[in-house]
Amino acid sequence: MSTPADSTTDFSAPSMNEGIAHVVSVEGSVAWLVPEQTGSCGGCAASGSCGAKGIGTLASRLEYRRFQINNEANLFVGERVVIGIPDNALIKASITAYAIPLATLLLAGALAQWRFGSDLATMAAMIAGLAVGLGFSRVGAGRLLMQGNLAPRFLRRARPGETCNQP
Amino acid sequence: MKEYVLLMVSAALVNNVILARFLGLCSFMGVTTRIDAATGMGMATTFVITVSSMADWAVQTYLLEPFSLGYLRTVTFILVIAAAVQFTEMTVKKVSPPLFQMLGIYLPLITTNCAVLGVALLLVEGRMSFISSTLFAFASSIGYSLVMVMFAGLRERLALVDVPRLFAGPPIGFIVASLLALAFMGFSGMSTS
Repeated sequence: MSTPADSTTDFSAPSMNEGIAHVVSVEGSVAWLVPEQTGSCGGCAASGSCGAKGIGTLASRLEYRRFQINNEANLFVGERVVIGIPDNALIKASITAYAIPLATLLLAGALAQWRFGSDLATMAAMIAGLAVGLGFSRVGAGRLLMQGNLAPRFLRRARPGETCNQP
Repeated sequence: MKEYVLLMVSAALVNNVILARFLGLCSFMGVTTRIDAATGMGMATTFVITVSSMADWAVQTYLLEPFSLGYLRTVTFILVIAAAVQFTEMTVKKVSPPLFQMLGIYLPLITTNCAVLGVALLLVEGRMSFISSTLFAFASSIGYSLVMVMFAGLRERLALVDVPRLFAGPPIGFIVASLLALAFMGFSGMSTS
């Protein structure tokens, strides 16, 4: 994550999806966290067994998922904290990352098919549409980031034994 | 135009990937505990199915068919799907690292999703043109996402109701899934006349 999220100690946090994370390092005013594996699928851990060494391993997957927040709450390494992201953040992120490129890809393909009626032209147009859509995605993601919609926020320290399913 | 619309309605509703063809059941039960998670998984899968189907069509048409390598189809398609997932992962990471951190967890799950391979094999069997196969793949994955989100909504409501202990958790989930499949069977009676 390129910029630290604004920390907040709002304990009510009514419109947040909450999760638990471990503090893995503290660098000055910034704390690095790794989300705790939750849920029944165990996707984080399962992905560790489906790749070669280094790529797709549990360690590399957790490394990808490391994120930082401003350490205004004086967190220390090993602490468990409750973090939150705004409601609908995942849906907005999914639309930005996947729906926009897909829409431009299909639009370009439909136009090329209507104009040229050739498979090769349609294929080329779809690839070009995908590239344009990814450009739009990048702009949209930048906007979401500026609005703070992609940044997890510190809510509170987790109580002993607290999980995101059973607060 | 009408044939494209019929193709898409058929792929999304009548021959729904999950409820009619019974593909992708592992993610159907595993990632439908929350609506936003199901939406994220559905959109990621839609993207990967559409892109990998385009690549699969090209490989089938320009490589496997001309050189009579049809017996390599399944293994080639698996390779193409894995490459498409890796491409998506790298692209999302490059376009926006925060987006990747939020959505990247779903991508490895898609590699082993049989719905992706199933759709690719179906469109090859259908001997469709490029645009038809792309629309078929897109509509199939929209049907997949629709069912995922519907089922996630139902499970969120089920979590709030008083279910007998014997049926609590996955058992009531399977019962609801079967009722949903019965409801989708109603689409098979649709007529174009």
